[in-house]
Amino acid sequence: MNSFVNWLDHRTGFRQLLHEALYERVPGGARWRYVWGSTLVFTFVIQAISGLMLWTAYSPSTRTAWESVFYIQHEMYLGSVVRGIHHFAAQAMVELMAIHLVQVIIDGAYRAPREVNFWLGIILMQIVLGLSLTGYLLPWDQKGYYATQVTTNIMSATTVVGPQVQVLAQGGTSYGHLTLTRFFAMHAGILPALLIGFLALHICMFRRHGLTVHDPAYAPDTWFWPDQVLRDAIACLAVLAVVLLLAVFRGAELSAPADPATMFDAARPEWYFLFLFRFLKFHAVESLGLAVAAIIIPGILMGILTVMPLTASILGAAGHSLNKAFTWIMTIGIVGLTGLAMYEDATDTDHQAALAEAHRDAGRARELASGPDKIPVEGAASLLRQDPFTQGPRLFARHCSSCHRYQGHDGRGSLVTEFSDAAGKQTSAIVAPTAVDLSGFGSREWMRSVVVDYRGHFAWLKNAGWYQQAREKQAAGEAVSLIDPDNSEMADWSGDAAAVSSPENAENLTALVEFLAAEAGHGGIGIDQALAEKGRSVALNGTWAGGAAGTSCASCHSTLGNAFTPVSDDAADGYPTLAGYASAAWLRDFIRHPNAKRHYGSKNQMPEYSPQQLSDPELDLLVRWMTHDYAPTTVAEYADRLELIRAAIPTAPAPEPTSQPK
Amino acid sequence: MSAHDSSSQPSADENSDSAPCQVSQPVRRSAVVHLLTAAVSFVIVGIPSAIAGLFFLDPLLRKRGVRAAGGTATAAARKDEAGFIRLSVSGAVLPHDGTPVLVTVQDDIEDAWNYFRDVPVGSVWLRKSADGRITALHSVCPHLGCSVNYRQSAGDFYCPCHTSAFALDGQKTNQIPPRNMDSLEVSIRTDGREDPAGAEIWVKFQNFRKGVSEKTPQ
Repeated sequence: MNSFVNWLDHRTGFRQLLHEALYERVPGGARWRYVWGSTLVFTFVIQAISGLMLWTAYSPSTRTAWESVFYIQHEMYLGSVVRGIHHFAAQAMVELMAIHLVQVIIDGAYRAPREVNFWLGIILMQIVLGLSLTGYLLPWDQKGYYATQVTTNIMSATTVVGPQVQVLAQGGTSYGHLTLTRFFAMHAGILPALLIGFLALHICMFRRHGLTVHDPAYAPDTWFWPDQVLRDAIACLAVLAVVLLLAVFRGAELSAPADPATMFDAARPEWYFLFLFRFLKFHAVESLGLAVAAIIIPGILMGILTVMPLTASILGAAGHSLNKAFTWIMTIGIVGLTGLAMYEDATDTDHQAALAEAHRDAGRARELASGPDKIPVEGAASLLRQDPFTQGPRLFARHCSSCHRYQGHDGRGSLVTEFSDAAGKQTSAIVAPTAVDLSGFGSREWMRSVVVDYRGHFAWLKNAGWYQQAREKQAAGEAVSLIDPDNSEMADWSGDAAAVSSPENAENLTALVEFLAAEAGHGGIGIDQALAEKGRSVALNGTWAGGAAGTSCASCHSTLGNAFTPVSDDAADGYPTLAGYASAAWLRDFIRHPNAKRHYGSKNQMPEYSPQQLSDPELDLLVRWMTHDYAPTTVAEYADRLELIRAAIPTAPAPEPTSQPK
Repeated sequence: MSAHDSSSQPSADENSDSAPCQVSQPVRRSAVVHLLTAAVSFVIVGIPSAIAGLFFLDPLLRKRGVRAAGGTATAAARKDEAGFIRLSVSGAVLPHDGTPVLVTVQDDIEDAWNYFRDVPVGSVWLRKSADGRITALHSVCPHLGCSVNYRQSAGDFYCPCHTSAFALDGQKTNQIPPRNMDSLEVSIRTDGREDPAGAEIWVKFQNFRKGVSEKTPQ
C-alpha cells in the first residue's frame, strides 16, 4: 500500500498538491466567519450532483418537460428528494451568495489587492442568477412559465437590441420547444461551464492573496486543515440539513402544466426576486417606463457595486464607508421590499384565491396524470383543458357568477365585489347574489330545500333589480309575470307547515327527495333504489297526509318521472318541466333555452346562452362539473364563502332549519 | 496556486507569511480533531452522493410499471389475456408456396409517463407451409438484435449485420447465431375463438433475450 502511494506520488505529485490545498495558513486562528465561501462551493457541488441526476430523466420539450418532471417527482425512486434538493439548494446558494457578498464588503475584502477577485465574484453572482432564472422555466409549469415570460419581456425592453435579445433567449418570437432546449443548454451546460471556470479563477485569486484576516490577534495561527475545514464542514452540514429537511418535508412545488391559454393569476417570481417585482410596482417607478425601471436602475446599482474597489482606492477610508453605507441601504431596501411584497400577498384575498386555485390545478393535474391512461401524447395541459372539475369553475365564474354564486364565491373562490364611491372614498363591497347559489345543485339537500322551503331556497332572487321593479309594478296594479319566491302556487304548497313538512309526511318526503336526487343522477351520490321507487309513486300519485293530501307533484309538473326531452312550447304544460330535473340533459337544455315554455317561459330572467356565447364543448364541461360527472378527486375544493355573503348581505335568506332530520 | 507573496499583502502582518517552517509554528491539533473533520467531510459529500446513486439506480429499484385497472385500452379488442395479438392479415393472403410475409404487430406500450395505444411494437415473418399450417418467426435476430430479412435469391433468412443465416423454418444454417430464430405461438381463430378453419391469425408476441443459446423471455 505504502509503496503504491509512493509510486502514485512520484508520478502525480499529489502529496504536494494536497499539502498546498490543506496547509494554507490561517492567521489569527480558524473562525466561523470564514465559512461562507466554502458553503457556496459546497452548494454548487450539491447542485452539480443533483442536477446531473435530474438530467438523466428530464426531457426538454413543451410536450415532455412537465411530464418528465412529474415522472421524476412522483414515480422515480427518491425523485422528489433529488428534485427537492436541487430546488432548495438553489435558493440556499442565492442566500449564501448574498451573505458572502455583504461580508466581503463589510470586511473590506474587496479592496486592493483583491479588486480582481471581487470582480470575479460579481461575475459569479450574475452566473448564479442566470442559473436560477433559466432553471425556473424548465419544469414548464404555470408558475415558471408565467414568471419567465415576465423576465423575457423585460429583456425585450432593453433599448435598441431588446427584441433581438428576447428572440435569442427564447429561440424564436414566442415560447416553444426551442425555448426549453435553449434554456436547458444554458442551465445545464453553458452557465455551469462558465461557473466552474470563474470559480476556479476566484479560488486561485483567493489563495494568491490569502484570507482577509479579521483580527490577527484573535488566536494563534493555525492551518486550514483541520481547524478551518472542520468549521467549514460543519457549516456545510448545516446547509445540507436545512436543504434536506425542506426537500423531504416541504418538497419542490410543481404547479399545473404550462398553458398559454389558461390565465395564471398567482404568478410571482422566485422569492429572492420579489424585491425587484415589488420595486417595479411602485407608481413612481412604473411611470419611468420598463427600460429605466427594470434594466437601467438595477444596472446602475450593479454598477455602483462593481466600482466599489475603485471608490475605496480613490476616496480612501471615506470610500469604504460609502460602500458599506450603500450595502446596508441596499440590504435594508431588499429585505424591506421583500417583506412588503410578502405582506401584501398574504393580505390580498384575490391573490390568496389565485394561489388556492393554482394549488387546486396542480393537485388535479397530478391526479389526472397518475391515472391509468397516464399522460396523453399531446401533453399534460390537455388533461386539464378537458377536465370538468378544472374548467367548470372557470366557466361558471365567467358566465354565471354575475347573478349566481357557488358556495358564496364566484366559482373560483373569489368573492364578487364592486367598487363604490361612497363619500368620496373608494370601497369594495360584496355584491348581493341575484340568483340561487348553485353549490349543492341536484343534491338531496337541494331537492329537500326546494320542496319544503321554496321561499327560502329562491329568496336570492329578491335581490334582483327586475324583481324589485316587478313588485313595484304589481303594487301599482299592473299585471306582471315573474318568478316570485313568496307568492306562487309552489310557495304556498311548500310553505304550509301542516302539509309536506309535517311529521306524518316525513317518510314520504324522504322518499320523494331520494327519487328527485335519483332523477338528477349526479355523480358520487349513492341512490337507495327501493326508496327512490317509493318516492316515484309519491311524486306521481301524491300519497300525502294532512294538508298536502290530494296533491301531487305530477298534477302540475306533468312530465315528472320521464326522461328529459325538450318538448315544444305547444306540448308544454305551463309549469317548469321536471322531467329529469337537474340532470345533465335537463341542464344542457335549460342553459341554452331558459325562456322556453317548458322551463320558465315568460317569467324567465336568465339570459339564453347560445353556442356563440358558450360553445358546445364549454357547455359540456360546465354541465359535467355541475352534475359531478368527472374522474373522482381528493383535491380540496375552494373555501366556502356562504357565511361571508350572509353576513354582508342582510337581504340574503337566513339558513332555515329543516324540519326533517336528513 | 502559487506561494503567497507577502509583499502584496497590505496588512504586512508577519504571521501571514506562509513559509512552512516558521519560528511561530501554527497550532497542531490532536488526531481526534483530524478524524472528526474527516468524518464530517465524508458525511456532507456522502449523503448527496448516496441519494444521487440510489436515484440513478431507479430502473433497477422501482417496481416495473404495473398499469392500474380501469384504463381505456384500445388494443384490448385485439389482444387476449394469454397475450395473443390479432394480426391485421388473414390466412388467405399468405402465399401457398411457402414464401414468408412480414407482418407488423400492434399493441399498447407503456413508456415512462406516456401510454401509447395500438402502435407498432415489432413484426413477424408469417409463413404458410404446404399442409396449410401457419408459423410465425420473430423478425429480430437472436444473435444481437438486428432485423432478419428474407433473401429471395437463396430462399432463406439472412441478417445483414453479422451474416446470421436461417432456413425458412427458422433453423440456423451457420454458427453465428446462438440459437434458431424465435418461433412464436400461433392461433387460428374466428371471432377470437379457436377455429382451425378460421381466417384470423393471432400470435403470442414476445421478445427474447439476445445472444444466448436458450430462448428466454425478456
